[in-house]
Amino acid sequence: MIKSFGQAVQQLFLHWAYRRVPPSNSISLGNSNLFIFPSKVGFSFFLLILLCWLMATNYENNVVFAITCLLTALFLVGILHSFINMSGLSITFVHATPVFTGETLSVEVMLSQKYPRYRNGLRLSFDGSEITTASIQGKENVRVRLSVLAPKRGHYNPGRLKVESVYPLGLLRVWTKIDLNISCLVYPRPIFDLHEHLNTSGRGEGALQRDEGSEDFVGLKHYQPGDSLKRIAWKQYAREQGLYAKHYADYQDERIWLDWDALPGLDRESRLSVLTGKLLKVAVTNQYYGLRLPALEVAPDSGETHKLRLLKELALFEQPSSINGKAEKKRTNERKFKKSRTEKTVS
Amino acid sequence: MIPVWQIHRHALVWLLTAFSSVILLHVGHLPLWVLLAAAVTIIWQVQRYRGVWYTPRRIVKYGLLALCLVGLLLEYGKPVGLEPMVALLVSAFILKLLEMEHQRDALVVVFLAFFVATLQALFNQSIVSSLSILGCLLLVIAALVGLYQGVPEGGDGASQASQVLRPLRTSVVLLIQAIPLMLLFFLIMPRLGSFWSVPIQSHSAKTGMSDDMSPGNFSRLGRSADVAFRASFEGDIPRQYQLYWRGLVLSDFDGRTWSRTDPAMYEQDNLLQWFGEKEKDWDALIERKGQPIDYSIILEPTQQPWLYSLPTPLPKSRGVGLTRDFRLLSSQPITSKTQYDVRSWLDYQIAPQGLSNRHRSIALQIPKGYNPQSLALARSWRNNISDDLLIVQQALSLYNQEFSYTLSPPLLGTHSVDEFLFETKKGFCEHFSSSFTFLMRAAGIPARVVAGYQGGERHPDNYLVVRQYDAHAWSEVWIKGRGWIRVDPTAAVAPERIEFDLESALADNEGYLEDSPLSLMQFRHINWLNKIRLRLDSLNYQWARWVLGYDNIQENLLKKWLGEYSPLRIALVFLIIGGGLLGGIALWYLRHIFRSEHDELDRVFLQLCKKLETAGIHRNPGEGPRNYAKRVAELKPEWGREVKAINAAYEHMRYGGESQERLKVLKRAIRKLK
Repeated sequence: MIKSFGQAVQQLFLHWAYRRVPPSNSISLGNSNLFIFPSKVGFSFFLLILLCWLMATNYENNVVFAITCLLTALFLVGILHSFINMSGLSITFVHATPVFTGETLSVEVMLSQKYPRYRNGLRLSFDGSEITTASIQGKENVRVRLSVLAPKRGHYNPGRLKVESVYPLGLLRVWTKIDLNISCLVYPRPIFDLHEHLNTSGRGEGALQRDEGSEDFVGLKHYQPGDSLKRIAWKQYAREQGLYAKHYADYQDERIWLDWDALPGLDRESRLSVLTGKLLKVAVTNQYYGLRLPALEVAPDSGETHKLRLLKELALFEQPSSINGKAEKKRTNERKFKKSRTEKTVS
Repeated sequence: MIPVWQIHRHALVWLLTAFSSVILLHVGHLPLWVLLAAAVTIIWQVQRYRGVWYTPRRIVKYGLLALCLVGLLLEYGKPVGLEPMVALLVSAFILKLLEMEHQRDALVVVFLAFFVATLQALFNQSIVSSLSILGCLLLVIAALVGLYQGVPEGGDGASQASQVLRPLRTSVVLLIQAIPLMLLFFLIMPRLGSFWSVPIQSHSAKTGMSDDMSPGNFSRLGRSADVAFRASFEGDIPRQYQLYWRGLVLSDFDGRTWSRTDPAMYEQDNLLQWFGEKEKDWDALIERKGQPIDYSIILEPTQQPWLYSLPTPLPKSRGVGLTRDFRLLSSQPITSKTQYDVRSWLDYQIAPQGLSNRHRSIALQIPKGYNPQSLALARSWRNNISDDLLIVQQALSLYNQEFSYTLSPPLLGTHSVDEFLFETKKGFCEHFSSSFTFLMRAAGIPARVVAGYQGGERHPDNYLVVRQYDAHAWSEVWIKGRGWIRVDPTAAVAPERIEFDLESALADNEGYLEDSPLSLMQFRHINWLNKIRLRLDSLNYQWARWVLGYDNIQENLLKKWLGEYSPLRIALVFLIIGGGLLGGIALWYLRHIFRSEHDELDRVFLQLCKKLETAGIHRNPGEGPRNYAKRVAELKPEWGREVKAINAAYEHMRYGGESQERLKVLKRAIRKLK
């Protein structure tokens, strides 16, 4: 009961705190969004002050009394110093490299400040991620990488970034939880080992020809630096006809379709995982491949851009678009919250 | 990267520095082996950090703990009192440092360091000691800051060095900002007084007077230049021969040693009149005459409850009581420097009408079988002379004729009074007062020995320093019609002792200040050294008066400042002054918030724009200075030249570099524009 009450109080506080710190790409810390409270060490410090005060009073010793006063004053001055260590710091979301579900996402944020001040012991973390410490000096910008596990595909928001510091005395904790509008693309977890379901279609001859093959000899081209030494036409060179390189080409007679419908009996996420796995496999060969999803078809192509596009389609398949989704979720939360509060007042 | 919970190198440096400083603070009252243990622990931590040695295993730790406890038991026996307690805490402190591995351990070490450093103030409250405690706290705070300071990777030597020093710098800043607030708290926070009594059993040797007197006691004190107490008078300091500081009245004589009659008798309430209590019936015995003198005394710790005062005193401080023999007593032994206020009447009469039988018999008691020769002498005086005062005169003239005053008197045997009076004839004050009181009692005159101090050194700042070598013993006899009067037989032998000081009374300086070879008192003939000595003493005195004895003046002082000493006013003062101080510091750090976004050059330019706007030419949004100037020239040709010139100067300074002179010229040009 006490626990639930405590949780309710905490939720009330978080609700209030989050409303004070609205989401934004770049947030500057200051009075409006920083919170400060004695840390556990700070409460132990109170005990120390109390002990010194008892000693001073009981022994009627004014030097001990002066020390007690000094420790108290130190704590009060410490409040300012703790606050100043964070106030005026700007935090900006830079970018996050897309990863596959289950991998560690690396989110990069930038710390900057308008007025040079030495800030120390800044600890940044997402919920459940490791804490990264940082310090900043002068007008330089400091980039901080935060690692967070990507739990599901789609546009992933790792939640609010907690920034806290107990510098310089450790007696007070200054913290804030900011929403930097972070959105990282998370691809489905690839599955490689499922039986081969590469669906090939449209066998044809010579329809597509690509330059950098290795099967059939096409002709000679002037050697250019960077061409493989194995391909130098040594015969022609020996005849002093100049330096040529032999060129071969593959005949792309297969266009590979990564097909949703070719994977019957699997649920949505597994299908996406298998398709992702196949895509990765195909992408390292130089084959052309396309993607067929319900209500979406991407024509075969190859190359890095194509691969990333397909991965994105897989990641976002049947996902609500990120911003709307979050707003939606937030709204329902708030509604729930309000509802529970009114219920409480009624009962 | 180093995990968050581990102690990095910079933090360790400061932790070990703070640790050593705190141990050094207590070096005076710690057994040698504890110091050794501390040294070993520091080495162990350094080696552990370098990866040479391991963190001690649990069995080693418990073994060391047991060893420490055994060591403390052997060292101190019963674990009561301050020194064993501090030694125990310091041992815990050392053991904690030994096992320090994580940040959590380091925090415990830092908190212990705070506490152990503070304990030093219980041993010594002098300026030097207090400043060293402050220095220690500075290092301990630096260690605490070091724990929370991150370590940047890499960096060259210079930046590394500045990183190492940063915690100290932060600590200095924090302390400097905290000290004004501390003073505020110190001045205003009410003192509550002890909650429970805390007997301090210090093992250090007690200096000062003991509660009995046997031959040799006082001549030992004559060799020490330690300060006994300081007294500051509201008016003039009385004459030197009036400065008899009564401490103890000794009525019980066993043939060799004088002691207090019955220590238990002071416990009886009706023999003690505490400050603020109603007058007891025995207060009627005394008749106080003339102008009283007010003074306050700052007494060095004596570990004894009795206090010194001029006759006849009335206490004016809490916790001080007046005894039936008109001296002062503290409710608790004096374990630290203590200040108390007294009002004395130098002119008085005590019990002139008569003594009760009980008190008469106490004041006439002499042990049987001792000192037969002296007894016979006194009886012969009694038989020949009827007037008590003449007998007193007789005894004093005896001393005056044949006796000499010395710090190193010959040793005395069983019949100490006989041997002194008829054989050695050389003695210090205790010999004279002892034999005199004995003679008086033998002649049937009630008499007692009084122990205390006589005289004192007058300081230029109008206070008196009384040192151990001013210790003195004299007699009081009761004469019908006059009551108790003071008789100092030493004055009959060596009047210089009373008129001036001990040094002038001793013919050959033998033994004088023997126990204080390094005391500045030794060099007081050298003028400049003597000046330094007096300055130092003055500093000590002010410290004692304003810091150590602040409790006594706090209430009056605050009443003077605040008009009234009420919780509401205290809270208000805290809020206003404390808030002001903190607000000032905050403003200093956040000053850039109030600074304008524009630099001076821009401000000057905006001034121009404003002027032009009042003339009706508004600058369009996004319009640069040059275009604006062109437009002004078109719309208001009479200003054209000046505005263009101003604009040119602005551009030149904006892109070419500013200078103060040019800025001034520009400002003047804008002002001229009309």
